[in-house]
Amino acid sequence: MPRHWHQWALILAAFGAVVVLLVLPLVLIFTQAFSQGAAVVADNLTSTDMISAIKLTVIVALVTVPVNLVFGVLLAWCVTRYEFRGRKLLTTLIDIPFAMSPVVAGLCYLVVYGGQSVVGQWLDDTLGLQLMFALPGMIMVTVFVTCPYVARVLIPLMQSQGTEEEEAAVLLGASGWQAFWYVTLPKIRWALLYGVVLTNARAVGEFGAVSVVSGLIRGETLTLPLLIQMLNEDYNSVGAFTAAGLLAALALVTLLLKTVLEWRQRHKIDAAQEVTP
Amino acid sequence: MSIRVESIRKTFGGFTALDDISLDVSDGGLVGLLGPSGSGKTTLLRIIAGLERPNRGRVFFNDRDVTTLDARRRRVGFVFQQYALFRHLTVADNVAFGLRMLPRDQRPSRDAIRARVRELLELVQMDTMTGRYPAQLSGGQKQRVALARALALKPEVLLLDEPFGALDAKVRKELRRWLRHLHEQIDVTSLFVTHDQEEAMEVSDRVVVMSQGHIEQVGTPLQVYEQPASRFVFDFLGHINALEGQYDGRLWRDGEASLRLDTHGACPNGDLTLYLRPHEAELARQPSDSASLPVRVAGRSVFGGTVTVELEPRGWGRGIVEVEVDREAWRELDPQRDEPLFLLPRDLQTVTCDGDLGPRVRPA
Repeated sequence: MPRHWHQWALILAAFGAVVVLLVLPLVLIFTQAFSQGAAVVADNLTSTDMISAIKLTVIVALVTVPVNLVFGVLLAWCVTRYEFRGRKLLTTLIDIPFAMSPVVAGLCYLVVYGGQSVVGQWLDDTLGLQLMFALPGMIMVTVFVTCPYVARVLIPLMQSQGTEEEEAAVLLGASGWQAFWYVTLPKIRWALLYGVVLTNARAVGEFGAVSVVSGLIRGETLTLPLLIQMLNEDYNSVGAFTAAGLLAALALVTLLLKTVLEWRQRHKIDAAQEVTP
Repeated sequence: MSIRVESIRKTFGGFTALDDISLDVSDGGLVGLLGPSGSGKTTLLRIIAGLERPNRGRVFFNDRDVTTLDARRRRVGFVFQQYALFRHLTVADNVAFGLRMLPRDQRPSRDAIRARVRELLELVQMDTMTGRYPAQLSGGQKQRVALARALALKPEVLLLDEPFGALDAKVRKELRRWLRHLHEQIDVTSLFVTHDQEEAMEVSDRVVVMSQGHIEQVGTPLQVYEQPASRFVFDFLGHINALEGQYDGRLWRDGEASLRLDTHGACPNGDLTLYLRPHEAELARQPSDSASLPVRVAGRSVFGGTVTVELEPRGWGRGIVEVEVDREAWRELDPQRDEPLFLLPRDLQTVTCDGDLGPRVRPA
């Protein structure tokens, strides 16, 4: 326990900052959304634009999460299980999406896959496929922006757990797949879920990169964050805050899940360290 | 099943872990690979298991070449140093793992698996802990479970990496004896790695002494102790005292100390190093006809049947000389602190000028 008054003052200041900067805006979102009554909120929630945005957001998340789940596990597996030249480089490259502004990522994709680019034109000519200003492009940039999360959560855990259990499984006759399924996966499942929760939260909330490649076609390429921006520009503040409330509610659920999973994972790491002192 | 390795070479980057290793382990043997850390013993074990591929050389089980055979098809039992129990599975599920991984047509029925698991856990005296998780077990218990798991598929080869390394002294001793006993009960060829001389001497039928990627000597525990093939083996098996001095064809001298010996192999300049094992000497108040090595007692440790005495040479030598004397003899002598005494070596090992072992000698 803090003993001096200045320690208490610091703690109070921290709480004050959290309330002013984080909690108050969150509370205001809901009060604004409900400022004209629940009926208006219900109207906004059932509007075609809103429903299409929700659908689109869900689709983007539904594709992004499994893709990055597989990608993250593969990457973590490679980095922690094999010794090879360029392993350090690979772990650094994973962080590019963290380091780079999402808007820049969106622009990069536009340049590479857009209608003006060689790749974009070729795809349009041969397959009649348009990636940018459409769903595929939005999914691609979301995958890009969220790809480090699963790998980043798994790598330290898998490093601390080592490979002996997998070796033991193989010596007991397990195939590589069996060793992964019956030994590795159970060991990392909580961390994996945690990574999925983070990926999902980021995928649902992504704005910058998606706004560059979406083309902002109302009712077609607007995800929830983009819709909020658009409604706000239309001076439909209740609509904007309703959508925002939806995202905020999702964020709170995510936070709760994350806390629970973190707690479980910490137990796992403790147990791992008990086994390998 | 016999194990044979031929001209195995293994490098990691620029480091040569094993350099042209050949070894024969006969069917039913219990062989200890003994060496300091970095001598390549664990690498050799992992190559036999198939966890590492050698750069060169072959591995045979009986007369079957298994060099390129996958680890999962070699059917060896392996016990890891840290046990590597599956932390998310209970004791019973750990032991059943190998049986459950079998292809469907070879897999025993659910009841048969359960029966086999019970039988194995009885064998290792862990049948009361079937529902526990590895984190709830002590080191010795984990060790037993790891062994039961390794034996589940009835392997003909059992490989153990530092099986007692992580246990405390008392449990270790108990488990050693128990492993020896277990090995006699089941029909298996066992190879275990250890850096503990006592352990290798107690448990194995034959000891393979390794250093720096080479095999120094293979033999029964008695052979390697009494007829060490190299200076390294002599050095590694128990504590030794190195006495450095000059030899003139009759007398070995170092400062105030002298020994009458009949030997050869001293350097041209007369240098002669003698190795003395702690238990191959006595203490007395007077020098003998052949030996005059003045010392004084610097410290002693009374433990078990012998007394370990640290002696400080008076007017010769460098550093402490350690000897073990019989407890009775010590009580009879009853030396006072700082009292001048004389060291009387019974057997000495000469070291030749190029660092090899020369003949053994007695002062006469």
